Amino acid sequence: MSTLVYMKILELDPARYDRRMRMATFGRIDRIKREIAAHWVEPGDRVLEIGCGTGSLAALMIERGAHVVGIDISDGMLEIARANASSADLLHLTAMEIDTLGEARFDRIVATFSLSELSPDEFDHVFDLAINALKRGGRLVIADEVRPSHRWQRALAACIRRPLAVLTFLLTRSGTRALRGLDHRISRAGLKIVHRESYLLGAFTLIVAEKESCS
Amino acid sequence: MFLNLLKDFWLLFGRMFPLPTTPGLREAGKPTRSSPVLVTCNFDLTVRKVLRTLERSGIDAWLLVAPSRGINVWCASGAGHFTADTVISILKTSGIAGRVDHRKLILPQLSGAGVNIWSIEERTGWKARFGPLRIEDLAGYLERGKHRAEPSERRVKFDFTDRLVMGTNLGFSSLVFFILPILIASIWLGSFWWKSIVLIFVLAVLNSLLVFRLPGKPGAARGLSLGIGAAALFLAVSWLVGGPPAGASFAWAGWILFVATYLGYDLPSWSPLWRADRKELLLGKRHTRIEIVEEKCIGCHLCDVVCPVGVFRRNPKTRRYFVADAGACQACGACVENCPTEAIATNFRSAVCKCPTCAVINRVNALKEERTDENESVGGDIAPESACCKGDGAASPESTTAEPAPRACDCGPSRGEHR
Ligand code: SF4
Ligand code: SF4
Repeated sequence: MSTLVYMKILELDPARYDRRMRMATFGRIDRIKREIAAHWVEPGDRVLEIGCGTGSLAALMIERGAHVVGIDISDGMLEIARANASSADLLHLTAMEIDTLGEARFDRIVATFSLSELSPDEFDHVFDLAINALKRGGRLVIADEVRPSHRWQRALAACIRRPLAVLTFLLTRSGTRALRGLDHRISRAGLKIVHRESYLLGAFTLIVAEKESCS
Repeated sequence: MFLNLLKDFWLLFGRMFPLPTTPGLREAGKPTRSSPVLVTCNFDLTVRKVLRTLERSGIDAWLLVAPSRGINVWCASGAGHFTADTVISILKTSGIAGRVDHRKLILPQLSGAGVNIWSIEERTGWKARFGPLRIEDLAGYLERGKHRAEPSERRVKFDFTDRLVMGTNLGFSSLVFFILPILIASIWLGSFWWKSIVLIFVLAVLNSLLVFRLPGKPGAARGLSLGIGAAALFLAVSWLVGGPPAGASFAWAGWILFVATYLGYDLPSWSPLWRADRKELLLGKRHTRIEIVEEKCIGCHLCDVVCPVGVFRRNPKTRRYFVADAGACQACGACVENCPTEAIATNFRSAVCKCPTCAVINRVNALKEERTDENESVGGDIAPESACCKGDGAASPESTTAEPAPRACDCGPSRGEHR
């Protein structure tokens, strides 16, 4: 029964996803999502959301008048997303396969708290594919956990993050890592950062980067 | 070297915790553009063992170490961390496509519970097939060049070494569970704590080593048999040593009986032969059902290839497969996942592993439940109790229909969606 009881302890609140994210971001996640939908998506945009999860952001963007294609690898999540954002195109697809959706097809590619679940190799790969999938003048909107730029902020973030990471790991047996070198990656790809906002001492960031409109 | 020794020591006890190594492409020997491409998990021990075995048998091969979150092949695939998506991820990010001329993948047989080979083929063009169960059999398998491993290479065993290692692991995991009460009791009982720790380890290893010899059904019954034996032995010895047993001796005997029974009940979740189902292990009653709908079967033998316990057999007259040994089925779901015509009907949906790893991964099931009670109006066809890796297996006994219930969890792609 050790396995059973152990499992029950861990199962108490098996990180009901949205709630867990709300917890991890101290409630900022809803605000970030609302901001993305309100300011960084225009009516009529074709949006690709990588890791749409329960579809809460997709629903907001649809309300704003965008056409949303959401991808996720969890069928359970997708099923919930289908209820939350029924007019979105929701696909079971890994981020590594977004090239199959077509080139230069999207006005916006949005990823909230999904890129940090990828391994560094996967992240690099997905980043290239995402840029190919963007139209010229299209924008990449990333909200995620990052490594703060100042040393003292990093130390502070580590103090907060470590215990939280242990808890998250115990609850979900999965961890995310903070994105590193996001700015560098963006500028190397020739994108222009048009907006940046930091939350929680620089531990979370919202970055909007634009693909040049003419070459 | 030293680090590896340390890891190996840890793995005698802590296999329930993931031990990741960096995913990516590894080379065994000097692989060429026509060398076979193998896939494995990113559990440290597995990767080292596979590379060592390949080298020893002089096989040149590409090894894709897929990001299974540091969990071993079987647990990861049962828990939805080793799926077609995982394999596709490593196929795309490793750049293997540019290094070989063929498009053939060899998967470990035990990944069948999570990996749907049709989904991989449809989404990437890579043709995947399942190799032998143990990496030791790979050389022979490659040499024969057949699609199928020999039946003996496809069956799980639970041999002496396995049983020994799983015994120590069982002891450790049980200790995690018992340690608090033991320590508290030791405030009054003094040396109780270390004696209990020794007892738990000894009984765990004994349970594991003797599991085929003990009378009763696998589970609590066999543990009880061991407990009766051990408690009787203990009483007899203490009588010989210190005269007629007193209250304390009887208390110890009771404690031995309890620990042994409990460990017997817990052992199957550490074994590859019996499924870790609560009811079954306590009461010895099976409630899983599996059958092949004959008209739907096209005789592709994939179910037989993935099944680790040899449930299926071919009817030479009809060339179709049938369930020959339903009692052996441990509801891993590999056959259901991979049957191309959805001919296999079950009353479970997928792996019904009850180990902690599987259980905690089921956050999505919890989400589902949340959704059903929160948005009643949405209705939908969500099973009230999903029998995913954590479920009871008896979730919806009425669902033994021609159509296997669609997957309702995140343990891999849902059926039908990719076909
Ligand atoms: S039951 Fe399915 S997997 Fe098995 S032989 Fe028939 S068609 Fe193939
Ligand atoms: S018959 Fe049972 S044990 Fe064999 S593959 Fe199917 S579910 Fe797994």
